[in-house]
Amino acid sequence: MNLSTSSSDSQAWGRWLATFLCMAALGACMIFALVILVDPYDSGRFGFIGIKGISDESPRTANASRGRDPQFSAAVFGNSTGQLLKPTELSQATGLRFVQLTIPGTGPREQIVLLRWFVRHHARADALVIVTDPVWCIDDPALPIFNPFPFWLYSDSPIEYLGQLFSSRALGRLVRRVELGLGLRTPSAPDGYWNYELLGHGEFRPAPPPNEPADTAAVAETQFPAIEQLAGFIANVPNVPVVLVMPPMIASDLPRPGSSGAARLAACKGALARLVAGRPHSNFLDFRVDDPLTRDRKNFLDPVHYRAPVARRMEQRIAESLRVGNAGPTTF
Amino acid sequence: MLFNDYAFLLVFLPASLVIYRFADPHPQWRIGVLVILSFVFYSYWNPLFIILLALSITVNWLAARGYLATKRGGFITGSIVANLAVLGFFKYANFVSDNLAYLFERPLWHFNIALPLGISFFTFHHIMYLVDLRRGKAPDYSLGRYALYISFFPQSIAGPLARWSEVMHQFGRQAYAPGWQRQFAVGVTFIVIGLIEKTWLADPLGRLLDPIYAQAIHGPVTNGNSWPALGFAFQVLFDFAGYCDVAIGVGLLFGVQLPYNFNAPLRSTNLQDFWQRWHITLMTFLRDYVFIPLSNVKIGRKRYRLVQHFSAMLLTMALCGLWHGASWTFVLWGALHGCALVIVSLWRRYGPRLPALLGWALTAIFVLLTCVIFRAGSMEAAMNIYRGLVELPDLERTLRSVPIIIAALCAFLLPASQDIVAGLTERPKTAIAAVLGLAAVAILVELGDRDAYEFVYFQF
Repeated sequence: MNLSTSSSDSQAWGRWLATFLCMAALGACMIFALVILVDPYDSGRFGFIGIKGISDESPRTANASRGRDPQFSAAVFGNSTGQLLKPTELSQATGLRFVQLTIPGTGPREQIVLLRWFVRHHARADALVIVTDPVWCIDDPALPIFNPFPFWLYSDSPIEYLGQLFSSRALGRLVRRVELGLGLRTPSAPDGYWNYELLGHGEFRPAPPPNEPADTAAVAETQFPAIEQLAGFIANVPNVPVVLVMPPMIASDLPRPGSSGAARLAACKGALARLVAGRPHSNFLDFRVDDPLTRDRKNFLDPVHYRAPVARRMEQRIAESLRVGNAGPTTF
Repeated sequence: MLFNDYAFLLVFLPASLVIYRFADPHPQWRIGVLVILSFVFYSYWNPLFIILLALSITVNWLAARGYLATKRGGFITGSIVANLAVLGFFKYANFVSDNLAYLFERPLWHFNIALPLGISFFTFHHIMYLVDLRRGKAPDYSLGRYALYISFFPQSIAGPLARWSEVMHQFGRQAYAPGWQRQFAVGVTFIVIGLIEKTWLADPLGRLLDPIYAQAIHGPVTNGNSWPALGFAFQVLFDFAGYCDVAIGVGLLFGVQLPYNFNAPLRSTNLQDFWQRWHITLMTFLRDYVFIPLSNVKIGRKRYRLVQHFSAMLLTMALCGLWHGASWTFVLWGALHGCALVIVSLWRRYGPRLPALLGWALTAIFVLLTCVIFRAGSMEAAMNIYRGLVELPDLERTLRSVPIIIAALCAFLLPASQDIVAGLTERPKTAIAAVLGLAAVAILVELGDRDAYEFVYFQF
């Protein structure tokens, strides 16, 4: 390719370069202006045109909006094992206003981020219900995550958030939000409830865990770094009632009594119970037990995802705990 | 740092341009500044590997000086052997060990080594210079200029495999000489076109094809899913051609015109033509430094020269396969192309002339089918893909394959990207600049999702 030019051509090529740079800069500025005006994830940081409602369907990102919604004062946290707890049922039973902030496929690290987000946006939170399934019992202090999670969305830094808005995913959310504002899109459920029973018919085969004998010395030394982090968090919100919920699983898959799995689970439950011991209107509810409800396979979609009758019973126990603390029942 | 990374596009490249703008008026600074920038670029992956790069440059340069001072060929031979040994250790030690272990039916050594990025490319750069020095074709160069030849960041990781004679004289030239604006405009256009090839053509194919090839590793590929797998040829074309176009564009921003590496190869009407248009710089290297010496060395009688010629062709292509990766599937892929090249040569010599359209179709089908072996990772996986071709995809799968159809149309119908760039920059039309500016923003937005694919050729 011949790259030589005359001096008049050079000026024209200079203008060409200036046009390229100006259009690129203009395009970038327009995108930034749009995302600042619309706030695609409704995180409350920008969004000056004030579109109301949730246009997002993924709880990973939609919970940024739900978690700061002032119409709710209490929330359920956890992963899919807490998803069937119905905010309307909990609200009716407690008189509080509950929102579902569970996110499937998350662990302690992500859920603590959500807890902080909710508390940061609610000067007076009335209750926190945390479904602490056994992912909270891990001993890895790094608290590994198993699925991608948008930590930047829940970050303290608006700059970090802004940096992530220059992406096609964010622009996709922006379009949906504009559609919502124009009435072209139905908003997602504001309370975040979604019934996973709609997904399938629940054919599954129980898989009992290995029956290794317990090493009591090793279990006694086990650390639960996720629970330690949770302890740090709830110590900072001393006046908020906290109910920790160990969700049920099909009884046939529970660790055998005397096995290392059972010993470890018991130690984890003990650590969770100690977190809320003596705290007003707070309790640790242990549903991971052998019970007529958990023995019946009809009550489960798969070994860890229970069906509505179990969820309704759990909601009753949660409501009682918020009323009377650990003076009430601690299981089904 | 990838060329399709914010770290490169928004930080390293602009910062390098600003720094070089200050160095450009001072001839004595130009090469030194570019060497430092290149080392910074290289160290981004693993700072320790810059020791290997610096050592490699120094040792080879000293060997060249030793040869020039004494005229003893041992300097050159020793240096080339050392280069190949280092490359062999990093790239093929475990391959050799695994195969010996298989032969002797007992486990042998296994090195936990990471392949230094671009080692294949800088090894070949050394060899080109040293061989030509010995042939009396290459002159003596200062350490700084030689260091830049090996490390020049637009081409150090994955090419184009520029020859010393193509770039040495350009290093140290004033980038902001009169008329630099046109050169910059061409450079910018190459970068945008390259990123379009990578982001809008190659990456969507990667997202479609990766699950299919992953499935092929574990078992049969059913429901006509094997058909999209043939699209890997388009993915690797636009991935690597895109990379090379960005490299060429970045080179121009620093006053260096790198050689073109692709020339619309999937429009070739025979396989010889294809290999003259695909990864051109590697193929000319293999032709000049492997095939021609092997073909010309006097072994056996004159009447066997044709056999020697074709054997050299086959061996060169098998080595080309092995260069791409330490695996028998790569060797098989290269050998198949070698065999096909022999057949094409014989056909062209003795057979009837094929209609261009038939030649094109046969070439394209052969390339698409053999690319499955290149990508699959094992013969079992490749066979799973081939067996799956007996089932045709349904309408839904065909519709999901739209990115493959678009890429195929671009590969079969569009001219080479350098011709597209030449067309776009023939005259300074501001409308084109505006569209390219907006395209650049759109690409940056696409790259903002942070799950951009690495360039396929980085693994080689």
